[in-house]
Formats: sequence, C-alpha cells, structure tokens
Amino acid sequence: MQKPHRILLERVSAYADEAAAFMRRRRVARRPFARLYYAGGRSADHAQDSTAGAELFVAAGRLIEVAGPKKGARG
Amino acid sequence: MTTVMIQEARGRVTVGSFSQMPDAAAAAAPSSESAEAALAFLTEMSPDLRGAAVLGPEGEVLAATGEEPERWGEDAAALLAAADAAEEAPVEQVHIATEQGEVFAIRHEGLAAVAVTERFALASLLLFDMRSMLRQLGKGQH
Repeated sequence: MQKPHRILLERVSAYADEAAAFMRRRRVARRPFARLYYAGGRSADHAQDSTAGAELFVAAGRLIEVAGPKKGARG
Repeated sequence: MTTVMIQEARGRVTVGSFSQMPDAAAAAAPSSESAEAALAFLTEMSPDLRGAAVLGPEGEVLAATGEEPERWGEDAAALLAAADAAEEAPVEQVHIATEQGEVFAIRHEGLAAVAVTERFALASLLLFDMRSMLRQLGKGQH
C-alpha cells in the first residue's frame, strides 16, 4: 500500500499535467479576438473581419507598437 | 440630557463629514506624480506587462511608460472611440488579443487605463489590478 503523501503527490502531479496540457492546447488553438465589456456585465465579441472589429484591431496594433517589445526581449 | 447632547453632536459631525466628502465625478484628477507611482506599482505587479498609461477625465495622459506619452494618449483615445462606436454605448473594459500581444483598457471613476501585455497574460488578474489602481487614484490613495 502506498503511503498517503505519495497518493497526494501523484494527484497534484496529475492536476498539473492536465493544466499544462490545457495551456498548450490554448496556445495553439486560440485565435485573435476583440471583446468589449459594458455596464451590467454584458460583453460582446467583434470578429476581425467586421467593421468594428477591424477598427479595434488597428487601434490595438498601434498601442502594441507604442509599447514596444518587452524589456529584456531579444530582437 | 447627556444623550440629547451626544445626538446633537453626532448630527453635526455627520453632516460635516458628508459635506466634506467629494463626489466621485466631481473629484479633481489625480496628480501626475501619484499616477506615475500607481503605474510603477502596476508594472512591478504584472510581469507580462509591456507598457501602460493612465488617462485623466479629459483623456489627458497622467502617466505612461516609455518615451512617447503623447502617442499613448492619441492611440488610447482612438481605441476607446472605436470601442464606443462598436455598439453606440460606452464600454467599461476592452480586451483585444492579437498575435503580437494583448491590449487591455478600462474606465473607472472618470479615469482610464490602457495596458499592453505579452500574449496569454492573465486577463482577469490584470483587469483587477488596473481597476484597483484607478480606484485608489480616484480616492487619492497613491
């Protein structure tokens, strides 16, 4: 019979593996999006090819340009 | 007799306290120094942050990272204008994720903050920090 702490460690490792796999899939599958939140908790997504979405992505691109690369990043 | 006096005094103090309490909308914009301190704290708290700016009630830049505060003001105004125009209603928060990075904007108590992060930053945590920053700036706690 396994010691109790071994069982606990295995359980924690399993959860960590699950989380890592989820994050890996998210990185691969996630697409650009523009999400707006309004008073009362309502939110709306705007596709990149819609008029509003295109304007939002252009404005966001400018801000990303102003911010520049992260400090310490190469290239 | 004593009770009556205490009640009268309490009434005077209460009225005085409320008359001195500034209305959130009428409060003056925080100073640049306090906004810079708040932004420095946010930068320290958020490892994924690339840059950010705090805007005053009129859209003026109170503090910004980097060397182009004017551009932060112009581009943040453009983003908020585009967001407001999307559904003809004022937005409270904006989150745009692109291949190059993520952009967040939030309005709170007449102030606004804009931030650019690496991809896959923790959105809820960053927005919480930004809102806390604006709330404290609004209260003059920085």
